[in-house]
Amino acid sequence: MTLAIETNDLTRCFGELRAVDDLNLRVEGGTFYGFLGPNGAGKSTTIKMLTGLLAPTRGTMRILGEQVNNPEKAREIKRRVGVVPEELALFENLTAREYLTFVGRMYRLAPATVRERCRELLAMMDLAEQEKKLTLEYSHGMKKKLTLAAALIPNPDLLFLDEPFEGVDAVASRVLRDTLKRCVARGATVFLTSHVLEIVERLCTDVGIIAEGRLVHQSTMDEIRAAGSLEERFLEAVGSDHVERQKLSWLED
Amino acid sequence: MDWGQLRTIIWLRGRLIRNQWSRSGKLNAILTMIVVGIGYVIAAAGGLGGVLLGAFALAKAPPRDMLVAWDGIVIVFLFFWMIGIVTELQRSETVDISRMLHLPVSLKGIFLVNYVASHLTFSIILFLPAMLGLCLGLVLGRRGAMILMFPLVLGVIFMVTAWTYCLRGWLAALMVNKRRRRAIIAGVTFAFILLSQLPNLLGNLLHNHERHRPGTAKSMPSDQQSSARPAGDEKAPLPPVVLAAHKYVPFLWVGNGAMSLASGNVWPAVLGAAGAFGIGGLGLRRAYRATLRFYRGQAAGKTSVKRPEVAKAAAAGKILLERSFPGVPDEAAALALAFFRSLMRAPEVKMALATNLLMLLIFGAMVLVRRSTGIEDSVKPFIASGAIVFTLLGMSQLMFNQFGFDRSGFRQLVLLPAPRKWILLGKNLAFLPIALGMGLTILAFAALTLHISLTVFLAAGLQLVAAFLLVAMVGNLLSVLVPHRIAPGSLRRTKTSAMTTLLIFASRLLFPTAMIPLFIPPAIGLLMSRVTSLPAAPVNLLFSAVLAGLLALFYKLSLAPLEQLLQRREKQILQVVTEEVE
Repeated sequence: MTLAIETNDLTRCFGELRAVDDLNLRVEGGTFYGFLGPNGAGKSTTIKMLTGLLAPTRGTMRILGEQVNNPEKAREIKRRVGVVPEELALFENLTAREYLTFVGRMYRLAPATVRERCRELLAMMDLAEQEKKLTLEYSHGMKKKLTLAAALIPNPDLLFLDEPFEGVDAVASRVLRDTLKRCVARGATVFLTSHVLEIVERLCTDVGIIAEGRLVHQSTMDEIRAAGSLEERFLEAVGSDHVERQKLSWLED
Repeated sequence: MDWGQLRTIIWLRGRLIRNQWSRSGKLNAILTMIVVGIGYVIAAAGGLGGVLLGAFALAKAPPRDMLVAWDGIVIVFLFFWMIGIVTELQRSETVDISRMLHLPVSLKGIFLVNYVASHLTFSIILFLPAMLGLCLGLVLGRRGAMILMFPLVLGVIFMVTAWTYCLRGWLAALMVNKRRRRAIIAGVTFAFILLSQLPNLLGNLLHNHERHRPGTAKSMPSDQQSSARPAGDEKAPLPPVVLAAHKYVPFLWVGNGAMSLASGNVWPAVLGAAGAFGIGGLGLRRAYRATLRFYRGQAAGKTSVKRPEVAKAAAAGKILLERSFPGVPDEAAALALAFFRSLMRAPEVKMALATNLLMLLIFGAMVLVRRSTGIEDSVKPFIASGAIVFTLLGMSQLMFNQFGFDRSGFRQLVLLPAPRKWILLGKNLAFLPIALGMGLTILAFAALTLHISLTVFLAAGLQLVAAFLLVAMVGNLLSVLVPHRIAPGSLRRTKTSAMTTLLIFASRLLFPTAMIPLFIPPAIGLLMSRVTSLPAAPVNLLFSAVLAGLLALFYKLSLAPLEQLLQRREKQILQVVTEEVE
């Protein structure tokens, strides 16, 4: 099995802070990979580097088997990748259909394909009724759904999803989960971050846990299940003593 | 709200301002402090100047002069106040009510804090000391009843601030809808610009009317003009309509009160002060009610009607973004259409273009005024070139910061698998119809009013293309090198470092220099007509075509290095243009 994502000593510093510290990730193709970590652990910084939104301070990356240092190669890889960034990437003065058409065309899809996929995606995300609204008028959840639709429109081989379920209603969440499962079943790789351990436990086949910029755990979900629950493994990996320490004095009396 | 809470809110405001300054860089913070310091020095000087003016210059002035002096001060104050409103319109309340009401504070308390804080503006800081100083000076110089000027001035200021606060509250309630919000900001800004330019426009038109009216003083020789002027013109009595206006227009009550007090009549000042406080009180009451309604969810503005069938209607037709251009790569065409669509929907862009058009209108009116003086044919091609420069100057603030208006949309551009040169080409193509539309309109206007020949018009058309290519090249470079975030719905730069501000200023300053090549074809035409027997216009046309061709070639050649530059700097640009405002 080829690796969809491979990083070697990937590091990103912000001044004195090492947000990501010598990260060595191995994500196999066709897996549903959950990337977990507490707030500020470096999950979003990692995704930003992997998707080209942020330059690494040090280290190398291979996405879908290709080095991404070369801009020409990076563009070719981007053609096979869909992204839902943490901070959304919408043009606020376009409608949902216009935005999806724009993204579809940029991925060089045929006009008929763009039109058909736009229709299906807008219906799936329950945005068809709001089609005339500009994205600036959308709620956070609607913006998230539209960004998800844009990530899915090119039918990518690799999907980077940074907190994709945050702010999304239960119905769309269910539809999205099923869609992502179908993507993986078709051979695509999904790399997602989430704070909701239940979602990761239910969806993912592989898990990586990052804490203070370092990869502290990486295994398959089956291995985790064999040894207990994901929550236990997570707390153990990030330091469960935090939970013990976090007590309020005035509630203990 | 108790004293402790009030102190905390003041601390919060101070900390927010301090953090904003520090995030814009040390140099920016120092410059801001210097500007604030200068403001306070001017305020102190204004106060002292007011005392001296009142105590000495106006001590023995006739009542008419008192009215003129106060009218002048009040009108200038209102002008600066209006500019302040436009600037402040885009900012939230000093204390955002929605961020505070979950805390144990009263709505009334926050309302009053916000109202009092709304007085901390440059216009109040600069003018209030001068006004109060003048009141004090008049008391010292004229004694007695002039003390009534204090309540009158304070009353009128209270009236202005209370109703402004009411207006802002009303607009804020309307602006809950984000789409409407930006249209309102743009509309109000444009209305204020129009209002401030109206005297200039009317002045020019009246000036023209007077010049062309037979038998008017200006149409006579100068010796006749002096004899036509009525004796004692300097101290002519004020027309009745002006005096009547001072009785019924509230902000003119200050001048009216001062004039009456100088004549020994105290009642207009007393009634004016009472009336101003009364009107101000009504405004504040109305503002509070609006705040209460807003808080209770009974905000102004119509409720939007749901239109469930729009999806089907829209799905039936082909949308603009699905179109292609012959000879243009598909990705560049998609980018151009998306950018064009965004530009045409962005109120800040509409505002910039409308302002540009307005300025052109005012200058156009000036040209019309001077039309009768007879402009030489040899000068007309230069005026046409100048009109093009002026058109593109107005667009430069958009074209020199092409990514600043994308904000978080720029993240999508970074994620796109498209060659970066298509992004630049797409951006430029999006501006092309706007530039051509405005440029050709202005040229047609100039051609009609100045009777420019068809050849010169065609030459100017080619120069317009050349100028656009030149501005596009410079704009691409500056957009990559000096990007800056623009707050949604405004043209206000946010969190710009001092270096960026200086570079933006330098680019605006050097813009006319960069446009010099545009004047080469008409200059060559003129030179050839003077030196040889060749007519100027065809030579101008030929060299304009050469210039446009050369710049098209340079533009094509510039895309590759600019693409590399954009590729290298896209992450820095992303960081700058997506930075959120506090």
